[in-house]
Amino acid sequence: MGITEQDARLPEEVVKQLAEGRLATEQMILNVGPQHPATHGVFRLLATIDGEVLVDAEPIVGYMHRGYEKLVEQRDYRQITNLVSRMDWLSGINNELPLALAIETLMELDVPPRAQWLRVILAEMNRILNHLMFFQSFSAELGAITPTFYAFREREDIQYAMEMVTGGRMHFGFFRPGGLKEDVPRGFYDQALKGVRQVIARLPDYEDLLIGNEIFKQRTINVGVLSKESAYQYGVTGPIGRGSDVDMDVRRDEPYLVYDQFDWEVQSASHGDCFDRFWVLLHEVVESAKIVEQAIEGVPSGPVLGKVPRVIQAPEGEVYIRCENPLGELGMYLVSDGDRRPYRIKIRTPSYSNVSALREILRGTLVADMIAILGSFFFVLGDVDR
Amino acid sequence: MVMTDQKQRLEEARKPGFGFGLLKGMAVLLKHLFKRTTTIQYPDEKQDLSPRTRGVIALKEENCTVCMLCARECPDWCIYIDSHKETLPPKREGGRQRKRNVLDRFAIDYALCMYCGICVEVCPYDALFWSREFEYAEYDIRELTHEKERLSDWMESVLPPPPLEIGADVPDEPTPAAAQTTTAAAGARPATQTSSATAARPAQAAAAPKAPTAAPTPARPKESEPGVAAERGAVAKAESPPEASAAQPAPVDQAPATTPVEEREGAPPKEVTEEAAKEAGIGDVQAATTQVPNVEVPHEAPRPVALEPVEDPEAVYQQVLDDQRRKGSSPQVAEARAKVARVKAERGIRRGPTPVEVDKPVPSAPTKAEQAGAPVEPTPSGAPKAEEPAPEQGPVAARPEEAAAAPQEAGAAHPETTEVSPSSGEGAEDPEAIYERVLAEERAKGSSEPVATARAKAARMRAMKGTKGPGS
Amino acid sequence: MPDINLTDWQILLVKLAIILTVVPIGALAGGYVLHKEMAHMQHRLGPMYAGGFHGWAQTLADGIKFIYKEDIIPAAADKRVFTLAPAIVFAPVLMLYLVIPIDRSLIIEDLDVGLFYLIAIGSVGVIGVLMAGWSSANKYALIGGLRAAAQLIAYELPIVLASAAIAMLAGTLSVVGIVEAQDWPFLVWPPGIGLALFVVFLAGAMAEMSLPPFDMPVAESELITGPFTEYSGMRFIFGFFFAEMAHMIAFAAIGATLFLGGYKPIVPWEPLENIPGVVWFFVKTAFMVFLLLWIRFTFPRLREDQLQKFAWKFLIPVSLALILVTGGWVLYA
Repeated sequence: MGITEQDARLPEEVVKQLAEGRLATEQMILNVGPQHPATHGVFRLLATIDGEVLVDAEPIVGYMHRGYEKLVEQRDYRQITNLVSRMDWLSGINNELPLALAIETLMELDVPPRAQWLRVILAEMNRILNHLMFFQSFSAELGAITPTFYAFREREDIQYAMEMVTGGRMHFGFFRPGGLKEDVPRGFYDQALKGVRQVIARLPDYEDLLIGNEIFKQRTINVGVLSKESAYQYGVTGPIGRGSDVDMDVRRDEPYLVYDQFDWEVQSASHGDCFDRFWVLLHEVVESAKIVEQAIEGVPSGPVLGKVPRVIQAPEGEVYIRCENPLGELGMYLVSDGDRRPYRIKIRTPSYSNVSALREILRGTLVADMIAILGSFFFVLGDVDR
Repeated sequence: MVMTDQKQRLEEARKPGFGFGLLKGMAVLLKHLFKRTTTIQYPDEKQDLSPRTRGVIALKEENCTVCMLCARECPDWCIYIDSHKETLPPKREGGRQRKRNVLDRFAIDYALCMYCGICVEVCPYDALFWSREFEYAEYDIRELTHEKERLSDWMESVLPPPPLEIGADVPDEPTPAAAQTTTAAAGARPATQTSSATAARPAQAAAAPKAPTAAPTPARPKESEPGVAAERGAVAKAESPPEASAAQPAPVDQAPATTPVEEREGAPPKEVTEEAAKEAGIGDVQAATTQVPNVEVPHEAPRPVALEPVEDPEAVYQQVLDDQRRKGSSPQVAEARAKVARVKAERGIRRGPTPVEVDKPVPSAPTKAEQAGAPVEPTPSGAPKAEEPAPEQGPVAARPEEAAAAPQEAGAAHPETTEVSPSSGEGAEDPEAIYERVLAEERAKGSSEPVATARAKAARMRAMKGTKGPGS
Repeated sequence: MPDINLTDWQILLVKLAIILTVVPIGALAGGYVLHKEMAHMQHRLGPMYAGGFHGWAQTLADGIKFIYKEDIIPAAADKRVFTLAPAIVFAPVLMLYLVIPIDRSLIIEDLDVGLFYLIAIGSVGVIGVLMAGWSSANKYALIGGLRAAAQLIAYELPIVLASAAIAMLAGTLSVVGIVEAQDWPFLVWPPGIGLALFVVFLAGAMAEMSLPPFDMPVAESELITGPFTEYSGMRFIFGFFFAEMAHMIAFAAIGATLFLGGYKPIVPWEPLENIPGVVWFFVKTAFMVFLLLWIRFTFPRLREDQLQKFAWKFLIPVSLALILVTGGWVLYA
């Protein structure tokens, strides 16, 4: 049909479609977020959708920027330890770890072996906490409401163990340069083992509930495929990267603490879709549980804090330490000028790089798939925005 | 590396089922329907929180000396302290007037507090404690600033710290010979109970605990507890040659069957025999919590126990006096220290090393020798000077090659450092050689790769800039 | 029963009164069962406070709370359509209860075309959902409305075809007649066919009520509440919560009637005849409710296009095939 003057006021794309004689559809701009149940926090996705198909999706971050890298310039190292556990708040202690390691490297402190083993135990328990949380959120976004409560139940035991040691359930402030703040109380090993063993025992249930579920498989297999090249280009690490066949794990490649003394495997999968990422997530829980068990068996006795000066002043220098946060590779680039406070800390967070890969994946998917992909991308807004 | 069976399981899982997975999922829910619920019905039932739970901070007013450390260290600056100084009449005639700090106001603003616990940790006089109470929500935010009366009320809910797990170390003053630490409890912490479960721990070859831990604290009288004497005795074994205790840290703690008296004589550590281990009931971590020492220890009044042969107090007095005089302390100080040493020797309390000059108070501080040769001006901090353009590579030069390329930048930013004449003997050593050497040393010591490279790099930087660091 | 002579108008009023009391009470009870069942399947306790004993009055308290809420109509919404939509969703649900047989003679109205009436009335609610989604002036609600329309239309057919098969087996469209025709419940006899028909019916019913796994329109984590996002207070309760609960119980009752034998004992065994039909009816309806909720809590939701594929490419051909088989059975067995 011909284009009249009236049509000229229509959007360009509609005019074009009319000229071609097709049914004119308009693209709608939909703001997913910053307040939305499916995004894990204040994350905004500017989606342009055509019916149910996403034409473009632009992630807009920064709604939770708190100025960490400026805050830490005004605080000394112990205060910073308490601040950084608020980045990836689902596994608070893994954020404190690279900071402690960086300070120890600069100051050349000796960390007693007992502290190292206990650090591994706490870090791996936090990894389980983090992964269970994402197991829950992924399922809830797909519509399965029950795994939420199962996951939180398992988290409860482990969080109680963390509370016994550190006093907190989410923000710990427990690692100090040179070791730990204090030693673990009586009953911690029992509680930790109980929590961890329960997780392992319940894992077949979760697998039956979700991984074996045909509906789940239909929603996640071949959905949101992140190719290996894209993963490398965007710097995607962690379970997301390993789900795309990026075989990297800092715990195995550059072992810190005592990770090279345990018998565990790095989980990875090769298809790069939501199902694979979820698979890697679940099986990493098992591996972490194995590490915790082995670590509790072999914790040496001794002090938990090495010989540390009363005032912690890192000498001049700079160091980059990276650790395997549950979400990926967390790196801290610490520049010190000899003061009690750092000159600069640049924090390389895994979620930031992971989120940057979203735009490419989301193109051409359906709206419901967008939710599934967002769910399968494990990121925490505090980690993205700092 | 992806294991083949792992990959296989993944491929299996990805295959389409035919509806049976749905039924399995339903079966899981049915199973859980009949299990007992885990809900704790708050507020009728409350969870039994651990003693370390960070609920609210309590203040023990009589201990507070208004040193303001907590207010200073608080990351949120939420502690408000007001005080004033009072002068009191002198204790005796002709003496000096005593000054006292009186606490007027001590308030913690819990609306700001981030419950990190730095104030509790840093208080040198144990005036702040953690309590588990968390039910103090208010309707008005101003009520969330707890003044010192309310903070003192919270003291009633403070729990003593929990006993520590097996293998924990209770820090004490270091003695030159012993590698393991000894008995005195710092603060109110009760000693760790012995447990034969530790015997089950495989002796960690690499786990030799290193040099003594915290700063020297004087031995304090211990609380008597059943098993404490046995533990004391057990740890006394540790004072025997470090290798023996280092090689077998576990058996040291296992002494439920021996009497305290034997241990006090400092018998060498017994080898853990299979039978002893078996009868002690190892193999289960559970045993740790349920272990009850099967020895009746007579109740002892708190009294410091002699742990090493008693020296003649007078000889001790004389020796310390001479030491101090030689070192150059003032006569009153020398006399006071000598008197204290004598009293300790009389009572059989072990003495720590009386303060003498240490070469390096802190690992990164320059040694006395270096300090003598160091320039009067302090080494500048890494921040670039205001007038000069910021050096491209940041405050610290990154590489020796690039340092050669940009020496003016780095040199301009730190004019003083290049002029420091290295008084140690390695000023002429090539930074690269230093890097290699330190790297080899670290590797030989057994540090992990990133630590080794980082330290080597730091040493190289220091060599290039001419500043001194520990061990150089 | 004593001989009461009432005029037609009075009988009408009595029947209306019965429906208007039973339905809300049923919806409240259904809501309570939902909370409790979900809780216990998830290791929780569910409501414990409201009303004292295990929170029996929870849904009642919720309803009363909603009465207090402010009635908000978005400024850009189409007012008349907006206000009408919940009514159009709720009224058909009420009318469903007309032909549910509690006992042989305890039925509000035993229509000769009871089954046909059920299906016809059940499909009117679609328009209400569409109206709500369109008039809300909210993009998310619009998406929900579109999804709902597509889904509800698609899943009409499996229900219709499965009911047609049942009518063939029973030989009548009257609901009482269908129950009477079941010595053994249709679920087990004819063997296999009955089960297949039941599954088809169940899938269709769950989609009609927008229950997971077919709850794309109200995908909570995506669209909040789908077409009813902008509704508040009593409109929300009537259009969404009440309607869903009442609809669920109605369909549970219908499923019990069509497949489980209604008010007849579950197996034709002498001693079971002593238990009154009302009890049997309630037991079977309760079981159906349990089943519907059980499926609801277990599964993630199907994506819209998967949903459509499932309906058009699987359920409808299967149900057509089942009709053929049922026809064969009726003729030769």
